[in-house]
Amino acid sequence: MFAFIVRRFLQAVFVMLVISLIGFSIQHQIGDPVRDLVGISVSKKEREALREKLGLNDPFFIQYGRFLKKALHGDLGRSFFYKKPAVDVILSKAPATLELVFVTSILVIVFSIPLGIYCAIFPKKFLSRLIMGASVVGVSIPVFLTAIMLIYIFSVKLGVMPSFGRGELVHIGGYWYSGLFTWDGLKHLVMPSIALTSIMLPLFVRLIRAEMMEVLESEYIRFAWAKGLKPKRIWFVHAFKNTLLPVITVGGVQLGTLIAFTILTESVFQWQGLGFLFVEAVERADTTLLVSYLIFVGFVFVLINTLVDIIYGLVNPMVRITGKK
Amino acid sequence: MSTKWQQFKNSYFFHSFIHDKVAIVSFVVLVMLVVCSFSAPIIAPHDPYDTTTIDVLDAETPPIWMEGGNPNFLLGTDAQGRDILSTMLYGMRVSLLIGLGAVFLQAFLGVVIGLIAGYFGGKLDSLLMRLADVQLSFSTLMVAIFISAIFQAFFGINKYEELAVPFLIIVIGLAEWPQYARTVRASVLAEKKKEYVEAAKVIGFGSGRIMWKHILPNTLSPILVISTIQVANAIMSEAALSFLGLGMPVTKPSLGSLINSGFEYIFSGSWWITIFPGILLVILILVINLLGDWLRDVLNPKLYKG
Amino acid sequence: MRKLFSLGLGILLSLCLFGLANAKTLRLAMDADPVSMDPHVQLSGGMLQYSQLVFDPLVRWTQDMKFEPRLAVKWERLNPTTVRFYLRKGVKFHSGNPFTAKDVAWTMARLKKSPDFKGLFEPFAEPKIVDDYTIDIITKGPYPLLLNMATYIFPMDSKFYTGKDENGQPKDAIVKTGPSFANSHESGTGKYVVAYREQGVKWILKAFKDYWDKNSGNVDEIILTPIKNDATRVAALLSGDVDFIMPVPPQDYSRIEKNPNLQLITMPGARIITFQLNQKRRPEFANKKVRQAIVYAVNNVGIVEKIMKGKATPAGQQSPEGFLGHVPELTPRYDLAKAKQLMKEAGYPNGFECSMIAPNNRYVNDEKIAEAVASMLSKINIKVNLKTMPKAQYWDQFDARAADIQMIGWHPDTEDSANYTEFLLMCPDEKTGYGQYNSGNYCNPEVDKLILQAQTETNVEKRKAILQKVERILYEDAAFVPLHWQHLSWAASKKLKNAKDIVNKQNFPYFGNLIME
Repeated sequence: MFAFIVRRFLQAVFVMLVISLIGFSIQHQIGDPVRDLVGISVSKKEREALREKLGLNDPFFIQYGRFLKKALHGDLGRSFFYKKPAVDVILSKAPATLELVFVTSILVIVFSIPLGIYCAIFPKKFLSRLIMGASVVGVSIPVFLTAIMLIYIFSVKLGVMPSFGRGELVHIGGYWYSGLFTWDGLKHLVMPSIALTSIMLPLFVRLIRAEMMEVLESEYIRFAWAKGLKPKRIWFVHAFKNTLLPVITVGGVQLGTLIAFTILTESVFQWQGLGFLFVEAVERADTTLLVSYLIFVGFVFVLINTLVDIIYGLVNPMVRITGKK
Repeated sequence: MSTKWQQFKNSYFFHSFIHDKVAIVSFVVLVMLVVCSFSAPIIAPHDPYDTTTIDVLDAETPPIWMEGGNPNFLLGTDAQGRDILSTMLYGMRVSLLIGLGAVFLQAFLGVVIGLIAGYFGGKLDSLLMRLADVQLSFSTLMVAIFISAIFQAFFGINKYEELAVPFLIIVIGLAEWPQYARTVRASVLAEKKKEYVEAAKVIGFGSGRIMWKHILPNTLSPILVISTIQVANAIMSEAALSFLGLGMPVTKPSLGSLINSGFEYIFSGSWWITIFPGILLVILILVINLLGDWLRDVLNPKLYKG
Repeated sequence: MRKLFSLGLGILLSLCLFGLANAKTLRLAMDADPVSMDPHVQLSGGMLQYSQLVFDPLVRWTQDMKFEPRLAVKWERLNPTTVRFYLRKGVKFHSGNPFTAKDVAWTMARLKKSPDFKGLFEPFAEPKIVDDYTIDIITKGPYPLLLNMATYIFPMDSKFYTGKDENGQPKDAIVKTGPSFANSHESGTGKYVVAYREQGVKWILKAFKDYWDKNSGNVDEIILTPIKNDATRVAALLSGDVDFIMPVPPQDYSRIEKNPNLQLITMPGARIITFQLNQKRRPEFANKKVRQAIVYAVNNVGIVEKIMKGKATPAGQQSPEGFLGHVPELTPRYDLAKAKQLMKEAGYPNGFECSMIAPNNRYVNDEKIAEAVASMLSKINIKVNLKTMPKAQYWDQFDARAADIQMIGWHPDTEDSANYTEFLLMCPDEKTGYGQYNSGNYCNPEVDKLILQAQTETNVEKRKAILQKVERILYEDAAFVPLHWQHLSWAASKKLKNAKDIVNKQNFPYFGNLIME
C-alpha cells in the first residue's frame, strides 16, 4: 500500500511536469498577456519594453527552465491580473469550487441511487419511463440555459433566491472561506448546485439503472430468488453492492466533466471558484495563472484516480491495487 | 443476399426490435431526422449558408402564427435574419456529424487504450492512465486551443471555415477519450480474473482475441450509457467552443451554436431563436438515447444468455 | 497612544452616526472591476471610473462636453504654451495631508513615467509652481488640447506616496504585474475611500468624511461587484440584488424599459466602430471605387436598427456630433444599386473572395455586426470568410494584419477628432507611432499634413476647418467603412433619483453626485 502511494505520488509529479510543458508551449495561443495590461493607445515600443521586462521575449527553454527552477520552490509564478502568486490565487479560489462540487455530489448520490434502482427494478412502469425521459431532457439542455432559467424564475420572477455570488462567508482557516455555515451562504449555493446536478444526475441514474438491470439478470441473483430471500434484501444488499463498482469508476472519471461544467455554471452565477478563474485567465491571457491552474487540476485528477483505485481494490478483492502481475 | 436478409430477419436482434414499440418509433424518428438534415439543401426553404439571401432587416421575425410573422419564414428568423427552420436543418447536419463523429473517435481511442491498459497492466497501464490524467486536465477547451494552433500553422486563418467540421471532430474526439478508457479498463480489471478468461487463456487464444471477443462485450453496458450521453455533450461542447472562436464559424451555425446564440434573446421576447432548435436537439438526443438503451439490452451478453 | 485612542473614538462615533443617519448604500455591478488602486497603472475605462470615485481631477467633463471646475477653480491662458490653474483651497487627501500645487506637479511627473499615460502627456513640459494654490501648466509647443488633458490629472498625495514601502520598493513605483504600495493603497481627494478590496470579487468604498464638496450626493457606501455575464448582471438588477449596472446588453433594453421600478439610461458615445480594408494584402482595396462600393453596400442604418436595437448612431465619418471635426452632411450612404455599379466600374462585376476578422467580446455585438457586414458584402459578390475570436487573441491577429478586412472600434482618449485619424488612418510609421491601428494601410500625405497642423493650431475656428477637411477627404476616399457610434448604457433602480444626470459621454459616472432615496 505504502509503495503504491509513493509510486502514485511520483507519477503525479510526472503528470504535472508533462502538463507544465504542454501548457507552456501553448500559452502563446491564448493571446498576449501584455495586451490586457495596457490601454489600447499605448505604443508598440512601450508594450515591447514590458514584454522584455516580464521575460516574455526569452527563448522558450529559458522561460521554461526559469519556471521549473522556481516551481521546485513551490513558486509557479505570479498572476498578471491578480498581481499575486498564482498558487495563492488558486488556493483561495479552490474552496468555492470544492463546496459547489461537494454539494452537487451529495445531491447526485442522494437522488441517483433511489431513482436508478427504481428504474432498474420496474423498467416497464410509467414512472420509470418518465424518469428516463426526463433524464434525457436534463442532459440535452445546456447547463448555462438551466442556470439562467433558474435565475430568471427564482430570483427575478419570484424574488426568493439571490442571483449571483457566494453570499456571506465564514473564515474557516487558511485560504478557506466557507459558505456552508451561514444561511445566506447556503441560499447562494442552492441554484448553482442544482444547475450542476441537472447535468450529472441523468448520467448516474442511467448508469445505475443499466448496471443494476444487468446484475439482476445474473445467476447468483436468480439463485437468491430461488432461495426465497426477501426482495428488499436482494435488491439493496446483493444487487446494489455489485452495481457499485462501475459506478465508482465512472464517477471518478466524470469528475473531469464536472470540472468542465463548473466552468459554465460558475461564470453564469459569478461564482468565484476555479472554473470562473479559468475563464478569466483565458480571457485575460493570464498565462501564468492558466498553466498553474492546469497543473493543479492535473494533480487533483491523479489524486482522485488514486482514491478510486484504492476504493476499487477494497470493494473488489480480485483487483490488486499494486497493479503488478 | 436474400439468405443474409433471412438470417437477419430471424435473428434475435431483429426479433427484439419489432417487438419493442419504443425502439421502432425512435428508429423511425431518428431516420427521419437524419434524412431531413442530409437532404436539407433540397427540402429547406432557404439556404442559410448563402449569405446573399440574408437580410439583416428580416432579423428576429417571429414565427408565422404570431403578430408580425412573415409567411416566408415559417418558424421566424434569428438575429441575422436567417430562416430558423432552414438553419435548424442545416445545423442539425453539422451537429450530427460532429456529435457522432467525435463520439466514435472518443470511443475507439478509449476502448483500445482501456483494453490495453487493463489487460496488460503494470507499467504500460500506469503510463496510459497518467496520460489520461494529463488529457483530462486539459479539458476540451485547451485541447481545442492546442489543435487550432496546429491547424492555423498549417492552413492559415482563412481556411478555417472549410475545415471547421473535421477540426471539431478531432478536438472533441481527442479531448474525451479518457472517459472511455477508464471505464473499459475498470471492467477489464474485473473481468480478466474470471474463469472464462482464464479458460480462454488455457485454450491458447491470443490476447487480441480474448480482449475483443470475450472481455469487450462484457464492458458494453457502461460504454453505451456513456456514449449516448456523450453525443449530447459533444454537440454542446461544440457550441461552447464557438465562444473561443473555435466552434463552427458564425456564418455556418450548428444546432448547438444556434441555441447558444439565441439564449441571450430568450428573455427579450425572441424566444424562438433558442426554443425551436432546443426542442429539436432534445428530440434528437432522446431518440438516440432510447435506441442506445434498447441496443444495450439487446447486445448485452449477460442479459439474454445469462 | 492618545492619537490612537481618539482615532478609535472617531471611528466608533462615525459608525454610530452612520447607523443613525440611515446610511445609504449603493450596490453597483460592472462587467469588470478596476485592475488596481493605482490610477496610473493602466489607461482604461475601468481605471478612470475608479479614479473619478477615489480621486478628483483638476477639471472634468460635463454631460454637454464642457469643462467643470473640480480641484482647479478657474484657469486662464497666459500664452500659447501656458495655462495658469488656480487650485481649490482647504482640500484634504484621505491621509489628512493638505492638497497643494506641489501635488499637481508631482502627479504630472508621475504621469510622464506611466507607460500608459506618457504618450498623452508627451506634449507637456515641466509645470511651474507659482504658489501653493497656483500652478502654470506648460506645453512644449502650442497645444490645443491642454484642458482635455487636464481631465486626466487626478492629483495624488505626494507625501503619502513618497518613501519606501516595507519591501524597500519606492512607494510611487508603477508596477503592472506585481504588488506595489500604490497598487494596494490610495490617498486621493475624491469622495470615496477604499475600505475593502478583493480583486475580481468585491470592493467596498466608504464616503470620505472630510470631502471638500459639501454639495455632492448622499451615498455613504458603494459596494462594487463585477458581474461578467450579461444575463446575470441584468438579472441581478431585475431581482433587486444590485441598484446600478453598466453596461447593459442591447437585447435587454426593452425589458428594463418596461419595468416600472427601473430606468434605462443611454447616451450617444464617441466610440466609432469601423472596418479597415487592407490595401497591401488586397490590390482590389487599393482601388477607390471598390472601397466606395463596399461603403455603399453596407447598410449600417439597418445594423443599428436591428442588431443594436436603435441604441447606436449610424455613422458616415469618424467624428460624432459635438466634436470639432464633425461635418453634418457626411451621412451614411447605403445604396446597393450604386455599390454594384461601382464594382462594375472598378472592373470587378463578379467580385472576389477575401477574409475578415472581428473580436467576439470587445465591442457591443461585435460578432453579429461582422456577420451582418459579411452577408451584405456578398450582395456585391464579395465572398467573405469571417473568423471571430476573443479579444485576447484578436489583437495579436490584428497587429499581424492577418485578414483582408479587420474590425476596429475607437474612442479618442483626448475626446478630440484628430485622435481618430492619428491612430486609425495616418500613414503607419513605426518611429512616430502614427497609424498604429491602421490595418488598412490607407495613406494620404495630405491627411497626414492636415492632422499635424491641427495638433498645434490653438485657434478653434481654424482648427475646426482643418479637421472637417480631413473628414471630407476620408469620406470621399472611402478610407474606411464606418458603421456606427456605440451608445453608452446604464440601468438603475428608480431609487436613484438623479442617475441620468451623473452619467456622461466618457462613461465616467459621477457617483459622488448621486442622490439616493
